[in-house]
Amino acid sequence: MDLIIENVSKTYSNGLKALNNINLTIPKGMFGLLGPNGAGKSSLMRTIASLQEPDQGTIRLGDINILEQKDELRKVLGYLPQDFGFYPKVSALELLNHFAILKGIANKKERSEIVNALLQQTNLFEVRKRYVSEYSGGMRQRFGIAQALLGDPKLVIVDEPTAGLDPLERNRFHNLLSEIGENTIVILSTHIVDDVKNLCRQMVVMNKGTIQFNGTPSQAIDTVNGHIWKKTIAKEELPDYKKAYHVISSHVSEGNLNIHVHHTESLENEGFMAVQASLEDVYFSTITKK
Amino acid sequence: MFKEIYFFELRQGFKKPATYIYFSIYFGLSLVVGMAIVGYFNTATTDTNTIANSTYAVSEMLVGFNDSILGLVNSVILVAIMATAIQKDYEYNTHPLFFTKPIKKSTYFFGRFLGAFTLALLVFFGQVIGYFTGTLFGLGTDLVGPFHAWSFLSPFLVFTVPNLLLLGIIFFSLTTFTRNTLTAYLLCIILLIIRIVSDTITADLDNKTMAALLEPFGANALQLATQYWTPSEQNSLAIPLSGILLYNRLLWLAIAIAITAISYRKFHFSQFLAPAFKINWFSKKSAEGEQTAIVSPFDSLARLPKVTQVFSWKQGISQCLYLAKFEFKKLIGTTFFIVLCALGIVMMVIISQFMGSMYDTETYPVTYQILEVASGGFLFFILIILVFFAGNSIWRERENRLDELVGASPVSNVVLFFSKYLALIFVLFILLSLVLLTGVGVQLSQGFTQINLTEYMVELYGKSWLSMSITAGLCMAVQVLSPNKYLGFFISLVPILFINILFGLLEWNDKLYIFNSSGPRLPYSDMNGFGHTLPVYYLYKAYWLNIVLFLMLVSLLFFPRGKEKNYKAKYRLSGKHYGIGYKVAMLATWTIAFSCGAYIYYNTHVLHVFRTALEIEQLQADYEKTFKPYERIRQARITHALIDVDIYPDKRSLATKGYYFLKNKHEVPLDTLYINYQTEEDSYYFSELAPDRAHTVLQNDSIQGVKIFVLREKLQPGDSLKLSFAFRLEPNGFSNNNPSTDVVHNGSFFNNMLLPSIGYESRAELSANSARKKYGLPPKERMAKVDDMEARMNNYLSKDADWIRFETKVSTSVDQIAIAPGYLQKEWEENGRRYFHYTMDSPILNFYSYLSANYEVKKDKWKDVDIEVYYHKGHEYNLERMIKSVQHSLDYYTANFGPYQHRQVRIIEFPRYASFAQSFPNTIPYSESIGFITKVDDSDKSKIDVPFYVTAHEVAHQWWGHQVVGGNVQGSVLMSESMSQYSALMVMEKEYGRDKMKKFLRYEMDNYLKGRTSEGKKEMPLMLVENQAYIHYNKGSVVMYALRDYLGEDTLNKALRNYLQKTAFQEPPYTNSIEFVNTLREATPDSLKYIIKDMFEDITLYENYVKDLSYTKRQDGKYVVNMTLGSQKFKADSLGKQVRVPVNDYIDIGIFSNKDSSGEDIPLLLQKIKMDEPLKAFTFTVDREPTSAGLDPYNKLIDRNPDNNTWKFGSTPPPVRLDDKEETTVTIKVGE
Repeated sequence: MDLIIENVSKTYSNGLKALNNINLTIPKGMFGLLGPNGAGKSSLMRTIASLQEPDQGTIRLGDINILEQKDELRKVLGYLPQDFGFYPKVSALELLNHFAILKGIANKKERSEIVNALLQQTNLFEVRKRYVSEYSGGMRQRFGIAQALLGDPKLVIVDEPTAGLDPLERNRFHNLLSEIGENTIVILSTHIVDDVKNLCRQMVVMNKGTIQFNGTPSQAIDTVNGHIWKKTIAKEELPDYKKAYHVISSHVSEGNLNIHVHHTESLENEGFMAVQASLEDVYFSTITKK
Repeated sequence: MFKEIYFFELRQGFKKPATYIYFSIYFGLSLVVGMAIVGYFNTATTDTNTIANSTYAVSEMLVGFNDSILGLVNSVILVAIMATAIQKDYEYNTHPLFFTKPIKKSTYFFGRFLGAFTLALLVFFGQVIGYFTGTLFGLGTDLVGPFHAWSFLSPFLVFTVPNLLLLGIIFFSLTTFTRNTLTAYLLCIILLIIRIVSDTITADLDNKTMAALLEPFGANALQLATQYWTPSEQNSLAIPLSGILLYNRLLWLAIAIAITAISYRKFHFSQFLAPAFKINWFSKKSAEGEQTAIVSPFDSLARLPKVTQVFSWKQGISQCLYLAKFEFKKLIGTTFFIVLCALGIVMMVIISQFMGSMYDTETYPVTYQILEVASGGFLFFILIILVFFAGNSIWRERENRLDELVGASPVSNVVLFFSKYLALIFVLFILLSLVLLTGVGVQLSQGFTQINLTEYMVELYGKSWLSMSITAGLCMAVQVLSPNKYLGFFISLVPILFINILFGLLEWNDKLYIFNSSGPRLPYSDMNGFGHTLPVYYLYKAYWLNIVLFLMLVSLLFFPRGKEKNYKAKYRLSGKHYGIGYKVAMLATWTIAFSCGAYIYYNTHVLHVFRTALEIEQLQADYEKTFKPYERIRQARITHALIDVDIYPDKRSLATKGYYFLKNKHEVPLDTLYINYQTEEDSYYFSELAPDRAHTVLQNDSIQGVKIFVLREKLQPGDSLKLSFAFRLEPNGFSNNNPSTDVVHNGSFFNNMLLPSIGYESRAELSANSARKKYGLPPKERMAKVDDMEARMNNYLSKDADWIRFETKVSTSVDQIAIAPGYLQKEWEENGRRYFHYTMDSPILNFYSYLSANYEVKKDKWKDVDIEVYYHKGHEYNLERMIKSVQHSLDYYTANFGPYQHRQVRIIEFPRYASFAQSFPNTIPYSESIGFITKVDDSDKSKIDVPFYVTAHEVAHQWWGHQVVGGNVQGSVLMSESMSQYSALMVMEKEYGRDKMKKFLRYEMDNYLKGRTSEGKKEMPLMLVENQAYIHYNKGSVVMYALRDYLGEDTLNKALRNYLQKTAFQEPPYTNSIEFVNTLREATPDSLKYIIKDMFEDITLYENYVKDLSYTKRQDGKYVVNMTLGSQKFKADSLGKQVRVPVNDYIDIGIFSNKDSSGEDIPLLLQKIKMDEPLKAFTFTVDREPTSAGLDPYNKLIDRNPDNNTWKFGSTPPPVRLDDKEETTVTIKVGE
C-alpha cells in the first residue's frame, strides 16, 4: 500500500505558491521530507493529512482517495503536527483517552489498555497524571507521537518532531520512529539533515514548493559526490567567492571561514580541496541552487 | 521616545479594520437613534416638548450607552482596543525587542496607554458624531433647537471621557498583569451590576443619593441632578457639574487615576519574564513538582495491544456525548463562570429586596415576581455567558492549538459541533437551575412558602431553556462562520441586540422577523396561569429553533477543520463531504421552519389584519376625516341598558344580547342614529344591531366599526327608541399583537366599552398634534375648555348617556362566579352553566363592568352595607385590610361627604394583565398585582399600607365620580381623582397617624415633579388638568393635603359636602372645576385666598431653605434658636419655564428634637409664620435641646429641593442658587 501523490499544487490567497506540481510515490518505511523553513513541507503534510485542500492533483493511499474520502483516511492516519498545544488542566492520561475516543476506540477496556501501553511506550506513564500543558518539550513530542499511534495507523505523518529536543531525547525519538516505520508509511518532515540520514530509506528535498530531489540518501550523495570542494578563507572574502562560485555552505572555524562549493570540475587549482560529499552538502547544494 | 511609542500605537490602531468597524457601530447606532428621535423615519408620531439636540438629550443618549447589554458592547470594544496595548507585545513575543531598548518605563507605559486611550476616545466619539448627524435630519422641525457644539461636547467630556478612562485603565492594567482578558471582562460585569443594582434601589427615595454617588457611569447622578427638570429646562440648561454629579465624576475619576498610578508603579519590564500572575482561586494547585524525566529504553511497539476502531452511527452518538461532557467541564471549570454565577446570585438577592415596590412597600415574593423582576439581571448574565461561551467553545481547539490534532482524527464535524452545542445547552440548564434555587431561597428566606414550582419549571426549563438554546445555536453558528472570535461576539449581538433596537426604532414589529420572538404573550397570572398562549409560544419557538438549526447546518458546510482560511476551501474541506443524513436534516429543518412560518403568517396576516403603528395612525386619521361631520349631529341618549351576557371561559368567547333605550333629550327631533361597534377584525360578529323604528342604513363601515341609521320617522323630543343588539366574540387563531384579555379561562374582566356606543367618538381621534399635521388635520386641544358649555352637556365618563337604569343577566361556566354592578336577584344553574341576574336599584353612570372567575368570597358588613371580597384562592394576605379600609372609608365618607348610594361594596380580583383598581357602581375590580400580594409590614413604621390606601381611594370614587361627575372638560378629574386621593389620605391618616402621611406625600411630590418633566403637551394647573395622572393624582394629593392644613379639616369637608350636595346625580350641564374651586374659595378666609389661586389656578413652586441656624443654651435651661430662612416663590408656565414672584405667604416653621428615646423628630415648635420677605431671620426659645429646624418642614408646599427645607444644627446648609442678587435679611424676633 503506497501513498501516491500526483500533480498536487496549492497557491495561497496571498499568491504564495506553496506546492508546485508535486508527484511522489511513498512506500512503506520511513520517508524523509527535507527542506528549509517555508519550503512547503508543512503544506504538503497538511494536505496529506486532510487538513488542507490542494488546488489540483490527487492523493491516494491504497484504495483511499484522500481528497474525496477524508474520513476513510483519518481512520488510518496518525498525525503529529509541527505546532500543537493542549487543553489546559488536562492530564496526559485524560487527553490520550480523549483522542482514543476521537479515533473510535469504543471499547472501554481496550481503550484503557492501549492508552496505558502507549504512555509506557513513550515513557510518560510515570507522569501520566500531570497536566500535559505543563510538560517539557520532549515530553510533549512524545505525547504527540503517542496520540498519533492510537488505533494502529497505516500512515503516520510527523512534522518537525525533533525541533528543540536535546540529543538524548532526539535519539530516543528516532528509535521509536524507525520502529514505527517497519510496518507503516512514516513521513518525516524536517530541516535537520541528520534526521533523514539516520532514519530514512527514501527522501525528497523540497524547496519553494517543488521537489528538488527524490531518491535514497546514498543516491543523493552520489549526485554530488566529487563535486564538493572546500576552502578556508577570510571572512571578508566571502562575497567575492559567492559571486564566483556556487557556495553551498560556510561555517566559522578559528576566526576563518570554511566554505563548501559545488562545482562539477576540479577546483584544486584555485586552492580548493576535494571533500567526501555528505547528505548535508546535497541538501545545501539543492536549496541554494542558482 | 514617548511621541514615537504614542504615535506608533495610534498608527497601529488606524491600520486595523476593527477600529473602523467599532467606530461605525457607534456611529450607525446613534445615527439611527438621532434620526428616530427627530422623527425622520416614517413611524407613528407622538408629541414632545423637548428637543433632540439639547445638552440634556445628548447626555441621556451617551449615558444610555452604558445600560445593560450595550454596556457590555462598550466593554468588549474597549477591551479590544485598550486591554491588549501591552499584552500584545507579550502575545507576539515582541516584548524583548521593546524592553531591551533604552526606553524609560514611563515612556513605554504611558505611551502605550495614552495611545490606546486616544484611540478609544476617537472610536467612542462616533456616538456623538452619529447622534449629531442624526439630529441634523430634524432641521427645520420643532424637534431640534439651535445647534451648539458645546451641547454635544460637554456630555462627552463629563460622561464618556471619565467612563472610558475608568474602564480603560481597569482593562489595561488587569490585562497587563494577568495576561488574560477575562479578568477585565469580569470587572466590567461587576461595574454593570453596580449599575443595575443602583437603578433598582432608587425605588426607595432614601437611596437615591447613595445610588447616584456610587454608580460608576454617572447615569444615576445625571438622573438625580436633572430629575425635576421641566421640558423648558431640559432644552436650555447645561449639565450642572456640581453637587452629586460632580462628586460622582470626581470619585470615579479619582479611582481611575489611582488605579493608573498603582498599575504604573507595579509595572516592570521584567514582569513578562516571570510566569503570568494567575487568579487561581478554585483550581487545586498542580500537585506534583517538576519531575525529572525518567530515562528508559523504549519497549517494542509490537507489544502494543490490538484495538478495534468503531465508526458507526451509534459510536458517533457516544462520542458526541463524551465530547459534550468534556466541553461542559471545560466551560464550567473556569473562574469566569463561577464568579459570574456568584455575581448573578448576589444581584438576584439584592434586587429581590426591592421587588414590586409601590410607595416603597414591597410585594410578597410570589414566584412570578421572582421570575420577572429578580431573575431579570441573572437572565441577562446568562445571555452574556452564552455569547461568550459559544465563542470560547467553538474556538477552543484553535486557541489551544489542538485543531490539527483533532482535525486529523476520524471524528465527524457534526459530532464536534453538536457536542459543543449540547455542552452549552447543559450549561444553560445548570444556570437556570441556579436561578431556580436562588429564587426559592429568596422566597423561603422571606418566610414565603407558597412556592409555585410548576411556574418555575415552565418558565425556566420550559421556556427560558428552549429560548436560550435557540440563541445559543445562533451564536455557535455565527462563531463557526466568523473569521475570529471577537468579531463573532459582535455578529452574535446583531440579531440579539442591534437588529431589535433598529427594528424598534423603525416600528418593524412583525414577530416573524424579530429574532427568537415568542409570539403573542400573556404574563403569568396566579388566577389565569399561563393563559392560552403557551401553544402559540411553542409554535414560534419551533419556527426559530428550526431556522437556527438550519443555519447551524449551513455553518457546518464551512466548518473550520484544518488550516484553510477562505470559505471556498473550507467548503471543499468540510461541506462537500456530508452524506444523505445531513441533506435530509437540512430539508427537514427548512420545511419545519417554513411550515411554522407559513402557519404563523396565516394567523397573523390572513386570519387577523396586521397593522403597523403607522397604519393604525392612518386609520385614526381616516376615522376623523370621514366621520367628523357627525360630531355636531345630536344623538338620542341611553337611559336603560338591559343586557344578557354569556361568558364561555373555556372558549374565551362571549355571546351578548341586549338592548338600550335611547331617549331624545334634546329640543329638536332626531333622525340620525350613529353607532360604534366592535369589528370582525377583532373577532366580534354581530347578528343584530338595529333600532326598533323604521330606518335605512346610511353607512356601515366595518373597518372603523361605525353604522349610521336614518330613521324614517324622526324621534321627537322626549320620545325613546329601543336599540337591540346581539353579537358573539369568537377568538380565532392568534395575531401578531398580544391577545385581548377581556375573556380568559379564569379571570375575565371587561366593561361596556365592548358594547355598542352612540355618537361620534372624539376620543378616537389622533391626539398628537405632530401626527395630526402629518395627515393634514388641524391641531387639537387635549380637552375642551373648562367653561365649554357644549362639552359640559356630557360627563367625562360617558358621551352617550347621563344616569341610566341597568339590569343584566350574566352566565358563565359552572365553576365560576360572574359579577356585574347591581344586586343579585337570582342565581341558578341551567344546562351546566351558572346564571346570575343583577339589577341596579338606583341610577348609575353608563359605566359598568363584567367579571367572571373561580372566586372565593369573604363577607363582612358595615352597618347595613354588605362588604364582599371576591378573591383568588391563595391571595388571602390582605383581605382583612381591604375590609377594614372599606369600613373606615364608609365611616369617614358618610360622616363628612354624604350618604352612600348603594347597599353593598364588592371588591373583585382580576388577573394582572392590568395593574389598577377601578370603581364601578358598588363594584370595584382590583388587580391581583396591586394590593392582593402587597406585603405590609406593620412593624416597619416607614411602610405604607398600600391595600388600605388603594381600597380607600376606590371607595371614595363612589362619591367622587359616581355621585358627582364633572363635564367632559378640563379639570373634571379634580373632582374625581384628586378628591379620591384626598379622601383616602384622610382615612389613612385616621388609621395610621399624621406621621405616616409624610412618606406618602413625599412620593406624591416626587411623582408630580418627575411627571411634569416628561409632559409632551402642556402642564396644566390643577384646576385645568387634562387627564394628566401626575397632576390629578400626585399634585392633587399634595395640594389637597396642604389645603386641609390651611383651612382645617372641618372647614374643608363642610365645603366639600356642600359642593357634593349641590352637584350629586345632576343632569347636564355637568359641573366643572371652576364651580368646585369657587366653593373652596368661599370657604377660605380672605387672608388665605391667595392659596386657592396658587394651588388650583396657577402652577406654583417654592424654594424654601435654611440659610443658617444656631442655638445657645440659656441660664434657665431653655434654648434660644436663631435661624435665617429663605423662601422663593415661582410661577411656571406650561413648559415649566418659571418666573420669580414676590413671596408673601404663610408657611410652617418648625424646630425639632430627636433626643428622646424613639430617635424620631419631635416638634418643639411648629407654627405658621408669614414670609413676606424672601429672607428672614427668626429667634425662638424652646424648652429642650433642638436638633434640626427649618421652613415648611413637612414639605406641604411644592418644592424641588425638599432636602434643604430643614437642616441640622451644627452644620452649614448648602448655599442656594439665587436668580438675582443676594437677598437682604429682615430680622424678626418672635417672643418667648
